Amino acid sequence: MSKRRILTVLLTASAVWLPAALRADDGETVRPVFSAYTLEAGSAHIADTYLTPLKYNGQHFGIDYQRWQAMKFDPQRWVMQLDTRLTLNHTVNPAGNATMWDAMLEFRWGMMRRWRLPQGFSAGIGGSASINGGALYLGRNGNNPVSAKAAFTVNATGYAAWNGTVLGRPLTLRYQPVLPVAGVFFSPDYGELYYEIYLGNHSGLAHFAWWGNYFMLDNHLTADLSLGATSLRLGYSGRIFSSKVNDIVTHVFTHAFVVGISGEWMSLNPRKGISADARIISATY
Amino acid sequence: MKALYKILAAIAAAAALCGCHHIDEYENDNRGNFEALWTALDEHYCFFKEKGVDWDEVHDRYAARVYPKMQRRAFFNLCAEMLDELRDGHTNLSAPFATSYYRGWWSGYPQNYDARLIQQHYLNFKYFSLGAVDYGMLLNNIGYMHYSSFSSSLGEGNMDYIMVYFAGADGLIIDVRDNGGGDLTNVEMFVNRFIDKKTLAGYMQHKTGPGHDDFSRPEPFYYYPAGSSHFGWAKPVVVLTNRSTFSAANNFVSIMKYIPGVTIIGATTGGGSGMPYSSELPNGWGVRFSACPILDAKGNPTEFGVEPTEGFAVDMDPLDALQGHDTILDKAIEFLTSSI
Repeated sequence: MSKRRILTVLLTASAVWLPAALRADDGETVRPVFSAYTLEAGSAHIADTYLTPLKYNGQHFGIDYQRWQAMKFDPQRWVMQLDTRLTLNHTVNPAGNATMWDAMLEFRWGMMRRWRLPQGFSAGIGGSASINGGALYLGRNGNNPVSAKAAFTVNATGYAAWNGTVLGRPLTLRYQPVLPVAGVFFSPDYGELYYEIYLGNHSGLAHFAWWGNYFMLDNHLTADLSLGATSLRLGYSGRIFSSKVNDIVTHVFTHAFVVGISGEWMSLNPRKGISADARIISATY
Repeated sequence: MKALYKILAAIAAAAALCGCHHIDEYENDNRGNFEALWTALDEHYCFFKEKGVDWDEVHDRYAARVYPKMQRRAFFNLCAEMLDELRDGHTNLSAPFATSYYRGWWSGYPQNYDARLIQQHYLNFKYFSLGAVDYGMLLNNIGYMHYSSFSSSLGEGNMDYIMVYFAGADGLIIDVRDNGGGDLTNVEMFVNRFIDKKTLAGYMQHKTGPGHDDFSRPEPFYYYPAGSSHFGWAKPVVVLTNRSTFSAANNFVSIMKYIPGVTIIGATTGGGSGMPYSSELPNGWGVRFSACPILDAKGNPTEFGVEPTEGFAVDMDPLDALQGHDTILDKAIEFLTSSI
């Protein structure tokens, strides 16, 4: 199956599933939407041999929106997750006389099969598709100041969560890794300038991604402490990214503290209300 | 549980594979910085073969002169001297106190240009300036423009005004002597005024790996006419060159040379056909060097310069200059006047 056909199938599947997953139920089952809005700040460690052989270190910032909901076709067992993330890394070289910026925008959508376990534990495993794009910018370089990044990947993901009570308040602890398994990503050739691409040489820019040339592992650990209608989210977000293609090596390692709000919301028809025997199936517990 | 072990094993294997993405690191001392500089050139520089440089031999010769307590300027001079072995005007080392230049590509040649002479004796100080362009009318109804740097861009509207000014002229002289180059996009925008169809402008190559012979197939690139909404030029053109016509200006000449109705008069240009690439050293110094060769429309390298049209190689005569004459410009006027 060609890459284009695979992409078409995945996009069609997304178009079919997304509306069904996001709208409120009209029958016996209500599927609240769990949303989290977070900011993150921490450290970044970057290297990109297209721009420089040196490793840059600095700060990492990000903003993230996550949305979870039980799937309509089997809400007890399946949940979906939508994640949108914008990150910005500001780093300097070891001598402290050059600055490299890294900005990246990502969208990820996936589904997980979940199991409710005893003692408030739950776990899930599934897959997701993500698309990301951005660039590293090193202003001191003349003709090679930018290293553009773009990828479409299919990922393995899962989570482990615990719902309990601490000091009389509901608390949810969750750990989720995301690991791209395969996909397609962009890279110029070893010494190819973007001017040559601008002039029309578009050959060899797309590369098949696998763990040998494109490795990324995201780790998210969060605690949602209920404050009533909404929860305070605190946590850790870390990324290990390493790619090597056309003898160009890129490393992006980030560690960040996460803070934000989260909560569950239900979308109801006020004229119909909600029946007394309606089943409310949360995506998170 | 077995499945879980398999997943964990796969992640561990992936992490191990990730570990293969190694980046060499160098100490921030004289030895480390020297090796970082030599390696950056070794892996990315594009003209070792054309220039007959044995870079390994150069390493051994200069590495023997590096010692730990070397003072900063002495170390800089040593590195600059090593880069001079490449005889490349696009190769510079930049430190906070100096930037190195290889000047041999022009210092051994006559300058062949005197701006004041033209401004005074040919234009009588009556000319227009627009960005990096000075332009005016010469006797015999010939237009003259000097484009001093392609780092300075002209908008399409600016170019229209200049073209309209020259609309009644019988011929046009484009003087790119002492034009040290700049942005190739400005070259493209300028050349587009002198072509009436899609035109092969040249070929570009890049390194495909760190080996000295790792190059891509030459990729043709084309320029397109400015379009019917802009003013172009279809009458005779002469381009004036000297040894200090370099880099993007060298590229401009290499393209104009194959456009019908264009004649190149003057001296062989200075070359500089490798698009520069930047890197840096652990101590924060920057380095720039030729990385992507540009060939002319016939696939010939132009790193060593573009020769004038056959029969039009001219140097300025110092005695003529004393009399207020630019020998090269006189040759261009004579040629255009006789061919109109």
